[in-house]
Amino acid sequence: MSEKPLQRTHLYRYHKRTAKMTQFAGFEMPLWYKGIIPEHLAVRNSVGIFDITHMGRAVITGSKNEAFLNYVTTNDVAALTPLSAHYSLMCNENGGIKDDLILSKLEQEKFLMVYNAANRQKNYQWLIQNAKTFNAKVEDVSDNIAMFAVQGPKAQQTLQKIANTDLSKIERFKCGWTKLTDVDVFLSRTGYTGEDGFEVFVWNTPLKDPANAEKVWNATLEAGESFEIQPCGLGARDTLRLEAGMCLYGNDITEDTNPLEAGLGFVVKLQKEAFLGKEALLRQKMEGIKRKRVGLKMLEKGIPRPQHEVWKDSLEKVGYVTSGTFSPILHCGIAMAYVSVQYMTEGENLNVKIRDKFIKAEVVKFPFYDTTKYGYGRQKQCAY
Amino acid sequence: MRVLDYEIPDKLHYSKEHEWVRVEGKQAVVGITDYAQKQLHEIVYVEVTKVGTNIDQFQIMGTVESVKSVSDIFAPASGKIVEVNNELSDSPELLNEDPYDRGWIAKVNLTNFDKDLKKLMSAQEYARYIESLEE
Repeated sequence: MSEKPLQRTHLYRYHKRTAKMTQFAGFEMPLWYKGIIPEHLAVRNSVGIFDITHMGRAVITGSKNEAFLNYVTTNDVAALTPLSAHYSLMCNENGGIKDDLILSKLEQEKFLMVYNAANRQKNYQWLIQNAKTFNAKVEDVSDNIAMFAVQGPKAQQTLQKIANTDLSKIERFKCGWTKLTDVDVFLSRTGYTGEDGFEVFVWNTPLKDPANAEKVWNATLEAGESFEIQPCGLGARDTLRLEAGMCLYGNDITEDTNPLEAGLGFVVKLQKEAFLGKEALLRQKMEGIKRKRVGLKMLEKGIPRPQHEVWKDSLEKVGYVTSGTFSPILHCGIAMAYVSVQYMTEGENLNVKIRDKFIKAEVVKFPFYDTTKYGYGRQKQCAY
Repeated sequence: MRVLDYEIPDKLHYSKEHEWVRVEGKQAVVGITDYAQKQLHEIVYVEVTKVGTNIDQFQIMGTVESVKSVSDIFAPASGKIVEVNNELSDSPELLNEDPYDRGWIAKVNLTNFDKDLKKLMSAQEYARYIESLEE
């Protein structure tokens, strides 16, 4: 179908040998190794490792780079201290979401931006185009870094076995440099699963020289053996982020949705000086939003999928599903949907139209799981 | 017989959409093949057309969903659905665990099986078909 050959990651041979593969954003990636459900449960209950090298990465430097980043993203970049990170967005002039991202401050005047694989080219062009008026330099470092996510309640203990610094010192949304085995890596305590965990950046590792990437991957698998670490594919990555209530670009957020209706207003600092999308978003805030992204939990059997319609009492269409799946933790269908604001309240009873049947659903808050049992905020388990 | 990683029982008839038919007099039991369940993986939901419905061969008679995907089940033979496997509602994983026995999907009162049979494959033919798909 596509003329361009699929891109591969450093771990391609490992994936090809052990996983069911899929195509995603121009890459040939693992969909699952053992299965989506066991991989999902490994991350919720213990630890899993994902190859996320396909994601886009840019380094932003220059004396005016903070002003530039404050202009091109919605969160407050001035609030970032060196070796800390935050979730943020890039918006267009209409307030539509260009992408969501994690911005890490590596040092004074040096930032790392990580964004979606599908938006690699689009974002790089957008950054370059908007950097012109600032003294800021944007470098696409995507192809020079291997990136893994090690996620789950046993993520720290796993990586600690092969790290030469104390990882407990890196708090959530903080970063640091360490050695894993004998390879220098950058770590950020972030992720896309709702669980505690790290994202591991193996720098200066082009595809043609995969040794360091393979070394870190294999050493992590070995270190996690006693916790039954599971290599995880894009299938579990999707079900985990959905259960955690996190957006997938292209499904739940697009250039046609704005942060306020997506429930991402917490990363839009409207009191900042001029930034892309500010005026449109201020206007939207004044006028009020008409629809909102909500969580839907199915009360009857049936799995909601993107584009399914959401109805009230099978009388009125009130919205549509943007992501949906079977939840391995809740054992039922769950979805993200945009619904008219009068139906966004927790506990509201709605229907999802699945193949001409109206299946009962309830509006619930994110994340979908019980946060005392799952997720990074759960009670720390006794060590013994 | 077993071909590649797939079980293909000898006495059944097979469709290109990976359903099987086991004829028992004027009735037939239908289901999805080992190949189908391995491709779908982790089946979490099954929906079958109501008992009493008349269906034509290759008409949609249900849906099977894995975590990631949704697939139609096509009737491998024409007839009236007289029974569906209610166990699948609470245990859809039976389709993965035992696709030819406990994971049966429906029983059909056959109406035109002599004609339908011409569009189905024997186990040997289906095995060659699977091999051609895996090439």
